[in-house]
Amino acid sequence: MTVASTPHRLGVSARLAWLRGRAAAVLSLLRRPLTSYYLLIGCSMLLLALGLLMVLSASSVESFEATGSSFTLFQKQAIWAAVGLPAMAIAAQLPPRTYRLCVYPLAVVAVTGLALTLVPGMGVTVNGATRWLDLGFVQVQPSEVAKLALALWGADLLTRKQKAGMLTEWRHLLMPLLPGVGILVLLVMLGSDLGTAMVLFTIFLALLWVVGAPGRLFTGMVGLIGVLVSILIVVEPYRLKRLTTFLDPFADPLQSGYQGVQGIYAVATGGLFGVGLGASREKWSYLPHAETDFIFAIIGEELGLVGTLVVLALFGLLGYAGIRVAMRVKDPFMRLAAVGVTAWLVVQALVNIGAVIGLVPITGIPLPLVSYGGSALLPTLVALGMLLSFAKREPGARRALSARGPGPVGRALGWLGFRRR
Amino acid sequence: MAFVLSVFAGRLVQLQWLENDAYAAQAAQQRLVSLNLPANRGTITDAHGQPLAMTMDARAVFADPGLVEPGKKDEIAGALAPLLDVPAGEIREKLDTPGRFVYLAREVSPERAQQILKLGYRGIATQPDHDRIYPSESLGANVIGLVGRDGHGLAGIEYALDRQLAGRDGRQTVEIGRNGQPIPMSSDQRRPPKRGRDVRLTIDRDIQWKAERAIADQVEQSGADSGTVAVMEPSTGQILGLATAPSFDPNLPDEASPDKIGNRAVTDVYEPGSTNKVITAAAALETGAVTPKTPFTVPPTLRRAGTTFHDSSYHPTEQLTFAGVLAKSSNIGTLLTAERIGSPTLYQYLRKFGFGGPSGLGLPGESPGLLPPPEDWSASQHYTVPFGQGVSANTIQMASVFATIAAGGVRAEPSLIAGTTDEEGTYQPAEPSEKRRVIGEKTARQLSRMLEKVVSEEGTAPAAQIPGYRVAGKTGTAQRVDPACGCYRGYTATFVGFAPADDPELVVQVVLQNPKRGHYGGVVAAPVFKDVMSFALKSRKIPPSGTKPPDIRLYARP
Repeated sequence: MTVASTPHRLGVSARLAWLRGRAAAVLSLLRRPLTSYYLLIGCSMLLLALGLLMVLSASSVESFEATGSSFTLFQKQAIWAAVGLPAMAIAAQLPPRTYRLCVYPLAVVAVTGLALTLVPGMGVTVNGATRWLDLGFVQVQPSEVAKLALALWGADLLTRKQKAGMLTEWRHLLMPLLPGVGILVLLVMLGSDLGTAMVLFTIFLALLWVVGAPGRLFTGMVGLIGVLVSILIVVEPYRLKRLTTFLDPFADPLQSGYQGVQGIYAVATGGLFGVGLGASREKWSYLPHAETDFIFAIIGEELGLVGTLVVLALFGLLGYAGIRVAMRVKDPFMRLAAVGVTAWLVVQALVNIGAVIGLVPITGIPLPLVSYGGSALLPTLVALGMLLSFAKREPGARRALSARGPGPVGRALGWLGFRRR
Repeated sequence: MAFVLSVFAGRLVQLQWLENDAYAAQAAQQRLVSLNLPANRGTITDAHGQPLAMTMDARAVFADPGLVEPGKKDEIAGALAPLLDVPAGEIREKLDTPGRFVYLAREVSPERAQQILKLGYRGIATQPDHDRIYPSESLGANVIGLVGRDGHGLAGIEYALDRQLAGRDGRQTVEIGRNGQPIPMSSDQRRPPKRGRDVRLTIDRDIQWKAERAIADQVEQSGADSGTVAVMEPSTGQILGLATAPSFDPNLPDEASPDKIGNRAVTDVYEPGSTNKVITAAAALETGAVTPKTPFTVPPTLRRAGTTFHDSSYHPTEQLTFAGVLAKSSNIGTLLTAERIGSPTLYQYLRKFGFGGPSGLGLPGESPGLLPPPEDWSASQHYTVPFGQGVSANTIQMASVFATIAAGGVRAEPSLIAGTTDEEGTYQPAEPSEKRRVIGEKTARQLSRMLEKVVSEEGTAPAAQIPGYRVAGKTGTAQRVDPACGCYRGYTATFVGFAPADDPELVVQVVLQNPKRGHYGGVVAAPVFKDVMSFALKSRKIPPSGTKPPDIRLYARP
């Protein structure tokens, strides 16, 4: 008998070793300095590409009926993406200093814009929510700018207070951040845009969490929200019905539960692998807002469970990357801004997806990067550009980037004599 | 975040994998619509292929109640009512039916449908449908029948051959969007409709037209309740014309009362009266009980089974030959003949000639008439059946008796269908009629000669003579059983005959029920016979007889 008589056992241990090796490789990949940078770029671009594709598919029928061309909405979205991608690239090059300089101008733009939507003749009401501003050549949502503005302003404010050592006091923790948020939320709520108000509040809570606010504060905040919501419901009881419909949309499948029911129909029709790209049935006018708030339902129908889990995973990775940036940067402003933006994007994605699959009330907010809507896409891409800029400032990232050498574009620019530095 | 993501993933697995069937089925149900693709109904033509019933292109107007704007329902009902010729209330009700498809009207002309679509109401649309039209209006109506609103036959051939004519409707299942657009590339299951078979009748359009005119005129002139004419080809049993009066226009089914729609030639039975004497004569000749020259002493009255029988008009005791008995239509002479052969033999011949059984035409509502077996006959029936009382038959059965004699004693079962054509256009002739010999050729010839005497100046129906042609026939003037009281009231006047008697080509049977002005068959029915027979002989280009009828003695030498 020779040693060769135990190949099976050798095989098993070899396989285990291989698995251990792979696991170690993945973990070491996560430890690399540029991991968050690449995750952010990868997830954003995949979601954006999927979004464009799904906007084309979901809007084609109603675009064709409205304008005679299936590509009307897709073309608009593609133009916004074409504007947004360079903006994202520029944002990725800007240093944190520039962002801090932008804080107050951006805040002014946001508040003015939100206020203008409430001016009769300026604001445009769509499906009950006054969140649009008609600039003549294009309609924009100031609320999207407001989310970015809040994240930056809050980060800047808390950073300065932290440096001054004032954050041990309740007053400094909440003043003037809480009134600022209050104004934004009030403006948004006056336009009946509950979803955006929730996202703004989430950014606010995320910022407080990062500066280490005490647990009692969060309890108090949740209590405050509870009181506010109760008041709103008492004032206009239809809101309660809206909020509770999601628990059982099939109780009223033709009126209040209609959109929720059609969303579940779409997702269920998709099954494991979907009905195929472009083959959605729900987009034939059954599902309202198929290309905006309910685009996830069309993804579920056309791409199936595989597609929906991929989208969920991409947002999960995006969130992971954002938190990773926040944890690794040294500068408190970058940390706060990164958390604010990440919380915004991930929570908005979860609220949107949750509404489609019947776990969260339908509040009417788009799926970041994926849904149709240019004025939402542009601030989102700028925010992601900012996260990229921060990611490049993680320890070791700059060295890793320069070690990589100039990319093909950089080489081409260098050859033309435009080489930076 | 990881927790929330796991919950979401779990919910997705539940919705898209574990529990998706029920939701997906509901989703499919809201967009699947099943459309009926009506099959084109076969055409009914006459023997030469002239269309008598055909199906034209039309539209069905339907609504998708889920798509109709609720506030506009009253307006839509009001606007469509005059265009569709349907009461507004009915349309309004249909617009409230649950589901996604309801017919508002069918067989709407394409122009009308276009007008409706131009109104542009959401949820109102049209689809191909077919309209049954009868280009010759009432011509042959009682043979062809008509179809109901559901597109299926209600009477006549349309009913009898409905399965062949109807074909098979196709079905299409399509997925539609919420606004009614068909979704391309979606599952589109289609079973094409299968066209119905065309039916070619044995009816000759021209003869049919003549027969209808003649009987309608005579019904009016004589004040009869109704009348029928059957024209038959003795060698094949084929019906060339089958007219009834009063008739109807199948294009206007709402105006036709039910009693006008059926075919009286098979639905109405009557006591044949004297025409029945030819069967008694045939049995007597065939069994050798008599010859045409056998002498009979015919008294003015005769008492049998407690009843006193007499002839239609008073006469002193006569010496008649057997031929004379038939030509003069003597009840007493016939009764004496029947006594020589006995009731069982007579019954046997009645059956062989087709009494008491189906005529073979297959038209709906046929009555085979009343012919009980002889053991059930009453005492007087043994004496009345030989001259056609206490027994009943329909027009076709009676015509078939004379067709059998005309065809040399061979009975060809009456038939109305020449053949059918399948959807590929292949014509398939109907099975030839069943033929059975009833009496010998010699008997048939003897009877034919004797029946020629009926039409002679000495017989009962000189009015049936046709110049140039030898005609054989028999009158009948029977007491009519009034269905209202079940008693005898009024008369049934008949004449049945064939020509040319030396080489018979056509049989014509005329029946008039309850004529008020004149009631003798030789007076009321024989002129119709002459009219229709002359036309049919010419129409079919039958050459005149080259011979004269042989002289047969009607009176026996004392």
